[in-house]
Amino acid sequence: MEEMIRFSHVSKQYPGVLANDDVTLSINRGEVFSLVGENGAGKSTLMNLLYGMQPLTLGEITIGDQKIDAQHNPEKAMEMGVSMVHQHFKLVPSFTVAQNILLGHEPKKGLRYDFAAAERMVTELSETYGLHVNPKDVVGELSVGLQQRVEILKALRTGAKVLILDEPTAVLTPQETEELFTVIRGIVREKNMTVILITHRLPEVMRISDRVGVMKRGRLVKVLNAAEASEKEIASLMVGRDVIFDELRTKQPLGPEVLQIENLRAINDRMLPALQDVSLKVHAGEIVGVCGVEGNGQTELAECVMGMRPQTGGTVRLNGKDVSRMSPGEIRARGVSFIPEDRMRTGVDGKASVSDNLLLGKQREPRFSRFGIHMRQKRVKEYAKQQVEKYDIRTSGVDEPVSSLSGGNIQKVVIAREFDFGTPVLVISQPTRGVDIGAIEFIHERIMEKRNEGCAILLISADLDELFRLSDRLVTLYEGKITGEFETETITMEEIGFYMTGAKSQREGEETL
Amino acid sequence: MSNSFAQSIRALFRLKPAQKLNREYRISLLTAVLLAFLVGAMIMLICGFDPLKCYGALFEGALGKPRALGNTLAKTITLCLCGLAMSVASKAGVFNVGGEGQLYVGALAAAVVGAQCKGLSPWMVVVLALLAALVAGGAFALIPGAMKVYWKVDEVITTIMLNSVAISFCSYMANGPLKTAEKGIASGTDSIMKEAGFTKLIPLSNLTTGLFFAAAVALLVWYLMTRSSIGFEMRLTGDNDRFAKYGGISAQKLMLWSMILSGAICGLVGMLEVFGLHKRFLTTVSNEFYFDGMLVAMIMRYNPFGVIVMSFFFAILNIGGRSMELSAGISSEVILIIQSVIIFFMAAEGGIRATLQSRAAVRKARREAAERGNAA
Amino acid sequence: MKEVFNVLLLQNTLRTATPVVLAALGCLLTQHVNITNIGIDGMMLMGAFFAVLGSYLFESWVMGLLFAMALGVVLGLFYYVFVIRFHSDEFIIGVALNIFAGGLTVFLLRTLFKVKGSFSDPRIVSLPTLTIPGIENIPVLGQLLSGNTLLVYVSWILVPVIWWMIYKTPWGFHLRASGEHPEALAACGKSPERMKCTASVLCGVLSCMAGAHLSLGYLTMFTENMSSARGYVAFACVIFGRGNPLFVFLAALLFGFISALGLRLQKYVPSDLTAMAPYLVTVIMMVVVVLWERRRKRRAGMLAC
Repeated sequence: MEEMIRFSHVSKQYPGVLANDDVTLSINRGEVFSLVGENGAGKSTLMNLLYGMQPLTLGEITIGDQKIDAQHNPEKAMEMGVSMVHQHFKLVPSFTVAQNILLGHEPKKGLRYDFAAAERMVTELSETYGLHVNPKDVVGELSVGLQQRVEILKALRTGAKVLILDEPTAVLTPQETEELFTVIRGIVREKNMTVILITHRLPEVMRISDRVGVMKRGRLVKVLNAAEASEKEIASLMVGRDVIFDELRTKQPLGPEVLQIENLRAINDRMLPALQDVSLKVHAGEIVGVCGVEGNGQTELAECVMGMRPQTGGTVRLNGKDVSRMSPGEIRARGVSFIPEDRMRTGVDGKASVSDNLLLGKQREPRFSRFGIHMRQKRVKEYAKQQVEKYDIRTSGVDEPVSSLSGGNIQKVVIAREFDFGTPVLVISQPTRGVDIGAIEFIHERIMEKRNEGCAILLISADLDELFRLSDRLVTLYEGKITGEFETETITMEEIGFYMTGAKSQREGEETL
Repeated sequence: MSNSFAQSIRALFRLKPAQKLNREYRISLLTAVLLAFLVGAMIMLICGFDPLKCYGALFEGALGKPRALGNTLAKTITLCLCGLAMSVASKAGVFNVGGEGQLYVGALAAAVVGAQCKGLSPWMVVVLALLAALVAGGAFALIPGAMKVYWKVDEVITTIMLNSVAISFCSYMANGPLKTAEKGIASGTDSIMKEAGFTKLIPLSNLTTGLFFAAAVALLVWYLMTRSSIGFEMRLTGDNDRFAKYGGISAQKLMLWSMILSGAICGLVGMLEVFGLHKRFLTTVSNEFYFDGMLVAMIMRYNPFGVIVMSFFFAILNIGGRSMELSAGISSEVILIIQSVIIFFMAAEGGIRATLQSRAAVRKARREAAERGNAA
Repeated sequence: MKEVFNVLLLQNTLRTATPVVLAALGCLLTQHVNITNIGIDGMMLMGAFFAVLGSYLFESWVMGLLFAMALGVVLGLFYYVFVIRFHSDEFIIGVALNIFAGGLTVFLLRTLFKVKGSFSDPRIVSLPTLTIPGIENIPVLGQLLSGNTLLVYVSWILVPVIWWMIYKTPWGFHLRASGEHPEALAACGKSPERMKCTASVLCGVLSCMAGAHLSLGYLTMFTENMSSARGYVAFACVIFGRGNPLFVFLAALLFGFISALGLRLQKYVPSDLTAMAPYLVTVIMMVVVVLWERRRKRRAGMLAC
């Protein structure tokens, strides 16, 4: 085995945080190496050092036989054969595929940008690696999977020997993930490249990687051969204790229908149809999971139910009452709580304190304000402290701004607020996105508790594991239409992938009958 | 056409985090004031004036005599009300840069009511004029406010443009239909009922009983913003209107009302100027008073209490500047320079501090690394 | 009405529009790198003053223009350092810059020239007017296209040049990328900060040139607050033209036309009322552009159905 990359005693100090602590690691040519760990374990930081996004504080990194110097930057990293595809795509939405791939290295004719040559170059590149794209497409209008392909092509443009992929499957469907893995296997085998994956999805890690490095709190805990390790072993190394993913669901009799959505239609922010005749029902004491690849109408569905997006047709009923035209405030008053997918934009006010964020929606209740006007500051504080304790929110004080908390704790703030309304209906969107394993467990338990208390829960998630674990019933959403509805026991993840991608549909089946 | 462009326009003028006025911030403020005075002193030196003498004249002129103090307090009231008007709107996420126009409209409305309502008791006239000013200012603020809330038309440009419109309009009224027949008044309306004008609290100064109106309004605004559930809702709306809407607050209504309140306060300032000082509407009723107040509010991060304190300081500079010009001979505009330097530093305060801190952190890390290296 | 609607109206339109065009070109560059420059008005004002100062000191319009442009570089850098480096609120810095400009120019006017209100002097040399041989003698066109001052022609040339630079050169792509997705640009080894700095400096230079046109173009004097909110109008034009130099130019012409019309209508309507017109039109422009945008989006949505 030929050594490709070597980290020796690498440390990285951010103001106040030691992000990498004395990491020593070597990665070989022609292997798929996965770096796993919880959020903030330092895996992205380590790769950013390699790629020159950040200067390292201590230690040494060698690529091939070259040592990286203090002036290391992405440009140089690429010259040395290291390329990186970031979790958040670094693509300019209004530029075309070709313009994005060649950004910074545009072919010129005199001073002018030679658009024809650019398209030619990109076509050649995509043929070389078997990654097909249309160079003239505007990137902002492409699907996430295609955007990722553009990113990968951009990374391969310079003839990279090492490709770093940061959380590449987080936004992909099972099928798209499979395609990506085929590409990875192809470039590793045929071009003898090295691929480094940063991820926390263990099943995928086991499938694709040759070796796995586990990181925890900035340290590299262990490197294992994927063939010899088990998921459970890796998971417990990541969190430093045994994690038990056991079945949470218990059978219970269904209550009455509480939430009824009939023929719902809506348009998205780009004024394109997002929901087309969506109908579904949620009973008391039931969790209905909505599966779908992001951007197929889940966001709009949740927002319509909550009155945050005007609907263009159909009705939403709560206990038989039409709430379609109501504002979020009115809908909340009728007994719905909502955990939105976009925490920082919708779920919290990052600048406001933890206690303010916990209070929202209850500020006019007599227990918190006299005559609905005069705030009872002391009671608010007390209440916030209680909630912080009850939901195990790790914060240095209730007056700290929410943005100073970690992702998992911010999510707990949202959950604490919403669950404490005690409403009979809950709409929950992406409850554990970007949340640590420990917190995931906690959040799942709380959701189950709510179900067992008899709440009707509409659960929207991009994480199939989560949906299968929690939901009683699953519906699939594809291009704004419901393509299937299943009792959770009756279907497998692979099967549901076909419904999520439009490859199969119960609807058409019915129509043909 | 790029989407980004539309986005960047939509992202226009997002407020920076409204931190509290903590200790660090107060230290920065003090440093900025000292630095600004230093800059001012340098300018004075270059222009051949003695800084000590100038600054002496400045404070003497602002605080030295009861009359001067009265003028300074009167100026404080104006600045403070304008600052609070700005704060009320900004807290809810609307930038009211149009206070100057609202002030003019309010002043004109008050002056017209004050002049036309002959035969009523003075108290009635004051109340009616007050109402007229509040309504005029509020209504004029409603235009950009409604355009912002319902159509998402950026309010910064529209309010600035409406300032020019209002000032031109009032000047047309004062030179045309409402021009007074009195001799010696260049462009102004008829004078208001004499008994209705505010009485002076300190003889010969500009400080009048209008102070009580101002105090009442300031108290109300302070309570609303810091102690009431409406203030809480406003704050969340201003920080993140999507979040507020999601939480059941009707953000649109709140933004609209805070804009109206802001305009009404500006109208009140106009009324105070008319009833306290000029006793009629003059086209010179305000000299960009609102912009000074607005800057005070920005420096103090829309904190009502801070605005009151800072207004006093800016009033000292303002009133003192004039007498400094008379006694020391230096042009009073140097004060504007000093004020803007304070603002530049305070706006950049967070960034400068972060830069210094991160440099210090890097240096510390390097030193530690070197020590560790030596030890090994 | 013939006295109003004649060639002179169009000529005035071009003249009134020029400073707005120049400032708006600067503003759109910063807008493309996602910096909101609300301080253009102050930059214009200071540019106007320093142009007069340079012209007065050296009795040369070249020096006047150079003074203004040099100041533009300084102001652009200042804006960049405060807004990007120190992450200050663009809005506060912009407004403070405008107030600073008002204070500084009046202070210098009183201290250096010992005058109040306005300053003119035979020593101040105005910008040259250029006559274009050939076109000069064509009746209407000659009056319009020939005999304008230097900066009018410069602004006409800059509109297509800047359009070409933004949309047709790699530089333009880097510029837009640094505004739209700075990390994308940083990831390929180009510094978005440098693009932002360039745009900010260019904006300063163009705004100060606009100022120079105000004070050395047709008048040869400096008047207190002579920019009279034109910087804000320029900003509105940029939004109206959605950052495309060609549309921005048209928006500025519209503003110029309304102003010129107002001036020429003064015989019939009180000047205070005509003075309102350009600002009202700007407000209406802002509303129209937003409503257009909405309709366009809705249309796009309809088609996709």
